[in-house]
Amino acid sequence: MTSPFTFKPLEIPEELTPLRLRVRDFLKDIGKDWSGWKVGHSWTGFDKEFSRAVGAEGWIGMTWPKQYGGGERSHLERFVVVEEMLAVGAPLGAHWFGDRQSGPLLLRLGTEQQRQRFLPEIVRGNATFCIGLSEPNAGSDLAAIKSRAKKVHGGWRLSGTKIWTTNAQHSDLMIGLFRTGTGDEKLKHQGLSQFLIDMKSSGIDVRPIRDLTGEAHFNEIFFDDVFVPADMLVGVEGDGWSQATSELAFERSQPDRFMSCFPVLPPLIDDIRQQGNIDRLSARKIGATLADLVILREMSLSVLGQLAEGHAPAQEAALVKDLGNSHEQQIPNLVRELADCQATIERGNRLSELQGFLTQNVPSYSLRGGTREILRGIIAKGLGLR
Amino acid sequence: MSNTMNDETSIGTLMAEQVERLLSREVTRERLIAVEQGTFDTPLWQALEEMGITLALAPESAAGAGLSWQDAEPTLRAAGSWAAPVPLGESLLATWALGSVGLEIPEGPIAVAEGVFRLDHNQHISGTDALVPWIQHCQHLVVVAEQSGQRFVCLLNRDEVSLETVETFARIPSSRVVASGATPVAIAAADNIIGELGLLPALATLRTVQIAGVLDRLLALCVEYGNTREQFGRPIGKFQAIQHLIADMAAQTAAAQVAGLYACRQIDKGNGEYGAAIAKARGGLAATRGAEAAHQIFGAMGFTDEHILHYYSRRLWQWRDEAGSEHWWAERLGRRVLAQSGDELWRGISG
Ligand SMILES: Cc1cc2nc3c(=O)[nH]c(=O)nc-3n(C[C@H](O)[C@H](O)[C@H](O)COP(=O)(O)OP(=O)(O)OC[C@H]3O[C@@H](n4cnc5c(N)ncnc54)[C@H](O)[C@@H]3O)c2cc1C
Repeated sequence: MTSPFTFKPLEIPEELTPLRLRVRDFLKDIGKDWSGWKVGHSWTGFDKEFSRAVGAEGWIGMTWPKQYGGGERSHLERFVVVEEMLAVGAPLGAHWFGDRQSGPLLLRLGTEQQRQRFLPEIVRGNATFCIGLSEPNAGSDLAAIKSRAKKVHGGWRLSGTKIWTTNAQHSDLMIGLFRTGTGDEKLKHQGLSQFLIDMKSSGIDVRPIRDLTGEAHFNEIFFDDVFVPADMLVGVEGDGWSQATSELAFERSQPDRFMSCFPVLPPLIDDIRQQGNIDRLSARKIGATLADLVILREMSLSVLGQLAEGHAPAQEAALVKDLGNSHEQQIPNLVRELADCQATIERGNRLSELQGFLTQNVPSYSLRGGTREILRGIIAKGLGLR
Repeated sequence: MSNTMNDETSIGTLMAEQVERLLSREVTRERLIAVEQGTFDTPLWQALEEMGITLALAPESAAGAGLSWQDAEPTLRAAGSWAAPVPLGESLLATWALGSVGLEIPEGPIAVAEGVFRLDHNQHISGTDALVPWIQHCQHLVVVAEQSGQRFVCLLNRDEVSLETVETFARIPSSRVVASGATPVAIAAADNIIGELGLLPALATLRTVQIAGVLDRLLALCVEYGNTREQFGRPIGKFQAIQHLIADMAAQTAAAQVAGLYACRQIDKGNGEYGAAIAKARGGLAATRGAEAAHQIFGAMGFTDEHILHYYSRRLWQWRDEAGSEHWWAERLGRRVLAQSGDELWRGISG
């Protein structure tokens, strides 16, 4: 009876320290005026200028082949860059979805022409991608999507509605999942296909949805007979379900799933220090948070190592996201417990701004990218519960 | 799941598989009870000795296998997962400590004291340890003693110390140990592997790995029970509430496993105290959550003496408190973090 999980360790070698320090210097300079409110947005914060600067440093598409503008660097190098960015809550949103998800998808399944056209643009921080999966009546039950793509001469015509699409209002392209086969209820995982959609196509209407923070990060998108050329189909017609779900081990195990609140910890620590005597509860809570974080990071690195070796540790990745989301969601509670939080959001006070934004934003962490309940269902099934 | 990942058949994994086979055959409820009642499981200990397992962490110069802690981790975890009723982990730790300072390793099982004792100028040792498991069955005890800021690994004969039986959750024979001017069998200055906390970090590492092992086992038992126990005309594992309890157990199990291995790797790198602090702070929490979930899943049956569950859950309650609870270690970590400005936090994590 051995463990059902594999978490072979992966260490970051010392040779990567210069890279880490370079990223740190870069961020110190470019981020010197970022407010607490802004860094609270972390990897969903949209800042195209920043993304272009990151691209110019060669830190987008780092692992991709040089022929597409990539850096042919290791996954560990990318990990170092990413975690340094997340540690300061850098606004990665304008390139993150392309770098984390859409680019790797095109590398794996895209046509040569698609790769040559889009990957170099992602790498430069020019092409912003959004992910069009959810629909008004298809959230957790993603295979219930109704938006359709109809085959026409020279391509496809898309119609239907996507919703909750993060940063769609700023995006150049969407990877969208549409129904191309029959609408047979029993075969709902079949007949789905992924398309590369130019967000400037006529017939696309993007309507930002204001969220509870008072800002608009996600959108509702109406497709009214939108033409997509045949060469913008991604992968194989009808294989959209397995294509979309096979990305999940990448999407679910990275540090963005447990570091979204990290930037509030340094000002919290400074606040506790200013209170004078370090009490026992504060020390214990801070220590426990650190331990949790270090272990999550080890788990994430381990999954990364397995992915780099060509394995698909879907269970391990789901565990990282579930534990990671719980970790980051608890952090605003920790701040309330250990610092004297006011019932006001004080602009200009870093701790207060971060706490103000994060308190309102953390409910989304265990929804986006698969809800906690869905993840736990996947984990339980994977363990052999029948 | 990805068991295919275990493609490296290192000595460490081979050894663990051997131990696993032995323990799955030998460790029955009857033998667990016998040990709780004070009988030493001599056949099991001898079988482990014959397989060469008890010297896994001892250097080759001492006829050991010279494994690293990382290599030994699967074996220690397997011992935890079968609640092996012998001081295997303690003895491995003791032989590692003796071996790392070049001391000769005595025969038989060896107990370990976690507290740091005092060494006076006549080379006599004094000190107290509130809880030393297995000492009744071990002729020898390894302690770390301090003299003017320098630490020594000492081998003591049990007859040199006084014992007072203590009660524990695990019901493994254990004693409070008092040494008053005990004469050691052997003594050697400890190199920098042994820090100010003596053997506590290594013991906390061992307990975390054992916790991970117990959780592995509990998880398997819960999955099996979920698939077989029926209520309302279907297996309880069909209920989403049960599935989610088991999924959380899985997450805690995975975290404990990673924590234990992390601590082992840190000992190998000479950073044992930090590794143990991180690992025990996380592993103790996993023990708490795992025991809670397992007891909920097993219902009243799991609350009986007759059922095997409590041999595991009592060990979880034991080991989360031994060698520093998760809260004790978290406080130490926290004080370290809070001694520096907030900006240092990330530097400490990222190295
Ligand atoms: C901030 C944010 C950004 C997002 N960005 C994107 C994006 O860029 N692209 C995109 O496509 N989508 C995006 N989403 C949508 C996200 O993927 C969905 O919110 C998610 O899949 C859940 O769907 P739902 O919100 O419709 O909730 P529902 O599926 O309706 O779920 C409601 C509740 O019921 C529970 N539930 C549902 N089914 C089950 C079940 N079988 N068992 C137990 N419980 C169940 C859920 O866990 C949840 O608690 C985003 C969401 C948020 C909050």
